[in-house]
Amino acid sequence: MDNTENKKSKLVVSHSPHVISLSLSTRIMMTDVMIALLPVISMAYYVFGWLAIKQILISAGTCLVSEFIFVGMRKKSLTLTDFSALITGVILGLSLPAPAPWYIAVVASVTAIGLGKVIFGGLGMNIFNPAMVGRAFVMIAFASVMAASGYIDKSMSIDVMTMATPLNAFKQSGILTSCSDLIFGSINGSPGEVSGIACILGGVYLCLRKTVSWQIPAGVIFSVLILGYLAQISGIQTGWTVLHQIFSGSLLFGAFFIATDPVTSPLTPKGKFIFGAGVGILIIIIRLFSGYPEGVMFAVLLMNSLTPLINRWVKHRTMGEL
Amino acid sequence: MGKFKDNYIVKAWLVLSIALIFGSSLAGVEIVLKPKIIANKLNETLSLIPYLIQEKEKEKSQNLKITFNKVEIEKNERKIFYNVIHTSRDGKTAGWVVKSKGPGYADKVELLIGFDPNMKYITGLFVIDQKETPGLGNKIIENNFRNQFLRINTENSLVAVKTGKRHPGEIDAITGATISSRSVCDIVNTVVKDLKQPLGSGSIKK
Amino acid sequence: MAELPTPTERFLQGILPENPVYRQLLGLCPTLAVTNNMKSAVTMAAAVAFVLFCANIIISLIRDLLKPHLRIVIFTLTIATFVTIVDKFLAAYVYSMSKELGPYIPLIIVNCIIICRCEVCASKQNVVAAASDAVGQSLGFALALFSIAGVREILGTGAFFELQILPSSWPNWIIMVLPPGAFFTLGLLLGLVNWLSNRSGKKAT
Repeated sequence: MDNTENKKSKLVVSHSPHVISLSLSTRIMMTDVMIALLPVISMAYYVFGWLAIKQILISAGTCLVSEFIFVGMRKKSLTLTDFSALITGVILGLSLPAPAPWYIAVVASVTAIGLGKVIFGGLGMNIFNPAMVGRAFVMIAFASVMAASGYIDKSMSIDVMTMATPLNAFKQSGILTSCSDLIFGSINGSPGEVSGIACILGGVYLCLRKTVSWQIPAGVIFSVLILGYLAQISGIQTGWTVLHQIFSGSLLFGAFFIATDPVTSPLTPKGKFIFGAGVGILIIIIRLFSGYPEGVMFAVLLMNSLTPLINRWVKHRTMGEL
Repeated sequence: MGKFKDNYIVKAWLVLSIALIFGSSLAGVEIVLKPKIIANKLNETLSLIPYLIQEKEKEKSQNLKITFNKVEIEKNERKIFYNVIHTSRDGKTAGWVVKSKGPGYADKVELLIGFDPNMKYITGLFVIDQKETPGLGNKIIENNFRNQFLRINTENSLVAVKTGKRHPGEIDAITGATISSRSVCDIVNTVVKDLKQPLGSGSIKK
Repeated sequence: MAELPTPTERFLQGILPENPVYRQLLGLCPTLAVTNNMKSAVTMAAAVAFVLFCANIIISLIRDLLKPHLRIVIFTLTIATFVTIVDKFLAAYVYSMSKELGPYIPLIIVNCIIICRCEVCASKQNVVAAASDAVGQSLGFALALFSIAGVREILGTGAFFELQILPSSWPNWIIMVLPPGAFFTLGLLLGLVNWLSNRSGKKAT
């Protein structure tokens, strides 16, 4: 895991397996991500109150505990201090429905760390984004709690939670949500995805700090803009404009915080852009043509599996070999 | 003599004789078990028929005369066959039962649908084969879902809706399994479209 | 020629040291496909046991007549015959099970456990060794199927042999009765078995 030559650089460009050097630099990165997530978390708190915070705390806590146990089982040095498990937990917590019962977050976190990360050899070795592995697992395992109706809890005093999520409302009954609601966050959804503005704020900070590469979110948004516009003018979904596509669901949250995971995305700038564009294309395809209202999670997981391929493809071209 | 021994067929004497022995023993098994297997398949359908044509009292269903028909439909210049079961009591038609299948979410969904003699109402519906997602799609076999089809008029084509049924011909889809719900409705719709005319008008009687 | 294991050794080897699923990784198709509940796992294990037992005995009886280049044909013929018998038998007497298992019963024909045992043991050893080998391997296969099906059925539906054993508040892990659950369970149990056997191996030395 050591890569002494690159001690000072934040991100090490190397062959697969893609290894992030030293827990110190990882820690700086992860602290940056935490700072960037602050606006998102505060929006989540503003909209859902303690429910969102509870979900985040449960998943973050379980992630740390399972990291401790699983890494211990593999008799590797402990990696708790690099905060990566913490970030996985926070992002996972933000992507689960706020009213979901406690065991959802626990199962998702254990799966994320165990099946998503440690089983591949720990941080830097995993193929798939751990948080999304965990979320996909509970999404299929507890479909009734995670599907459309899982977001709605009429008994709660929080207003937005009595509504369907915008994408579900549209997919099922053709109800449009206004763009300003989508941007500022007075809608139902996973805590992390409600406010477009908060995601952009945090995301731009991350890009400016160069903690994440801007190419990935740019690629996602670029391809969603083009395909969303095509869908708009072709009239597949009446009333659902390209702005709705951008600001609804977890697209921005996914573009800035999920797809940008340095371990599971390609290494070169060009590869990153291709990766982002692929995520965007898959999101639109899933949204338009599948039974699921939202496709960020599956899009990221599918593109994760293509990352090694993109790495090889892009590398080959840039070296000018024939 | 050497030539005889080199012959391929002679070399394979063991294979041939084993094949012969096994073949005949399989034929024996087939002869013994075939009636039972056919009876099993038939029973599966027969036991459901009284429920499909809304037979409440048990004695009545004993007088029920059941005949299996194949109904030929021409659609898009292709001939399609339907397995139609005609039930009658005292010479009068008691109802129709149609067996049909169509694509579901995971695999084919096979239905038995009961209709009244004039094909005006659906009198029963059973899912006899499905491989839908356990816990979600396979709820189409449960009574809550099935019973929605009872007494439904065949005038309207059926739609699976998610937000609670309001209009006639609407069926409440199962939460998280819209596609499975929809495919059941689609199969029923196709059967109604294809068979309402020929069965209801009485042009097929047996 | 190396000395072949005795009947007792054959029997014991099949159960754990040479478990067809956990150690030889054979017969994974039924292992993955029919282990979402205990009932189908039991049926499958019984069907495989019957076919394996009969095939092993027949092959062992005719082992001196086998010609090397025709042996696979004879193995396949024998196996196919017994599989067809099982298939018909299930359809006649356990119709619901035969419907649920569908193509997986005929697919026993291509289950490599059986052809492997015919090749490794039955075509080389006498009837007693072949029979005890078949029983041992079948027990090992059944053990593997039951462990996977048990985990999947309990987590996936809260029940064991369709008998509710977990409190009704148990949230069913639907993924466990779906195909992905088979892969997860097999992988994790395989890891566990390897871990355990590594540990006991270390203790022994």
